[in-house]
Formats: sequence, C-alpha cells, structure tokens
Amino acid sequence: MPVIRPGDTHASDTQVAEPEVTETPETDLPWIVLVWNDPINLMSYVSFVFQKLFGYSKEKADLLMLDVHEKGRAVVSSGSREHAEIDVFRLHEHGLWATMQKDS
Amino acid sequence: MRKRKKAGPIEALGDGAFRINLTDAERETMLSFVDQLEDVLAAEQTDPRLRRLFPTAYHENPDLDAEYQGYMRDELSQSRASSIATVREVLATHEPISESQLYAFMMVLNSLRLVLGTLLGVSEDDDTDDIEDDDPTFGQAQLYGYLGWLLEWTVDTLSNG
Repeated sequence: MPVIRPGDTHASDTQVAEPEVTETPETDLPWIVLVWNDPINLMSYVSFVFQKLFGYSKEKADLLMLDVHEKGRAVVSSGSREHAEIDVFRLHEHGLWATMQKDS
Repeated sequence: MRKRKKAGPIEALGDGAFRINLTDAERETMLSFVDQLEDVLAAEQTDPRLRRLFPTAYHENPDLDAEYQGYMRDELSQSRASSIATVREVLATHEPISESQLYAFMMVLNSLRLVLGTLLGVSEDDDTDDIEDDDPTFGQAQLYGYLGWLLEWTVDTLSNG
C-alpha cells in the first residue's frame, strides 16, 4: 500500500504519549523516533519529508534537519510503540535512517 | 520563488499538475536505473547494497528488530515496488503527471541515490565532485551527481508547486 500520499499528515508534534491502557507498567514510557545523520540524503529532501510525514512547518522541519546534520541525530516524533513503528516505517519508506527506542 | 527563464527538468504547471522535461535518452537511462533498482531490491536480504533501503528499526534491541522486520520488510518491499511501477508510467508519458506520481518519482530517485551512494562509499567528508576523471568510479559519481540534481529539482518543485 502506498502509505504516504502528499498532504497526508498526522499530528505528532507533541511530547505527550497517546493515552493507552496497558497491563505492563513499562509501556507507560513513550517511544521516541530518532533520525540519524547520513552522508547521502539531501538536506532539502530530509526537511521536505519531515514536513510531509509529520505536518511540521518548514521552519520546524529545517531546524530538525539541521539538528540531525549537526548533532548526528534528532528526535522527530514520540508516542506509543505502535505509533513509533508506523513513523519508523514511513521514514524508512522515504530512505531516511530512522530507529526507535524507549524514552528515558 | 526563483524566477527562471527556462522550465528546468521538473516543472509545476499549476492545479496539481507537473511535467518532467527529460529527453527520451534521459528517460531511457532512468528506466534502466529503475530496472537495476528492482534487481537490487530482489537481492538477498544480507546484500550490502540493501543496507540503506532496509535499515534497522530497533537499534538497541535485536530481538524486537527481528520481529519488526518479520512483519514490515515485505510491506516496505511492496511499497517500493508500487513506487517503481508508478515511475515507469511517469517515464513513459509526455503528458502532465499528478503530484502523487511526482512524489513516487522523488522516492525512487532517492532510493537510487542511496544504492549508488552506498556503492560509491559516500561519506560525510567526501565530495563526489572532486573525483578525477581517470578514476574508475568517475562515471558512477557523475550519475550520482545527476540523480542529486534531479532530486533537488523534484523536491524544490513539490515544495513550491
């Protein structure tokens, strides 16, 4: 399925984990999605993908992209594990080097 | 917005329509790249050329990553196959294309750059422009530059168009 269509965005511009009822306390911690610096992807492309996938403004996307470039990585979204997996998938689909881990 | 006298390789026509201004020779070259990308995507999972196309998701947890790859890898392959099919249509037509077709074109261009960049061993300090013309990788480096130029135009046009 084409997961991404232009203009298809979802709101994840927040640090708040999605409320979810779980049986295991450890899942209370949100998951964060990281994008790592890589020497191949164009800066303009990375910023554009952040705008498309997360609905971020150009300004915010540019700042995130520069963070990735200069600091080696940046947190681009956070939320439940399922949510983070979807974001990682969409970033991989766009060729970005994304991983996820539990926030600490 | 940049003002240009000429349309450039990717042109916004307004009303969500776009045109790819590539010569037939360029289209054929792109098609052969797309064929090669398809071959690479069909390679063994351990093929180093695929490293950047199917990255690790859980970098701290190999078990969770294996689980993730188990159910997501096929979906990622299918998504790429779908974009490739769209790009074949895009390269075959001289008619205007839609935004989603141009978007697929962008994603495939980026996949091609990832494979070629990996083959060339592009690193942060490298500048592929500096490769001497008697270097055996000169041709690939030129192609890499060409794909980057076309991708930059595509992103720019989708951003402003």
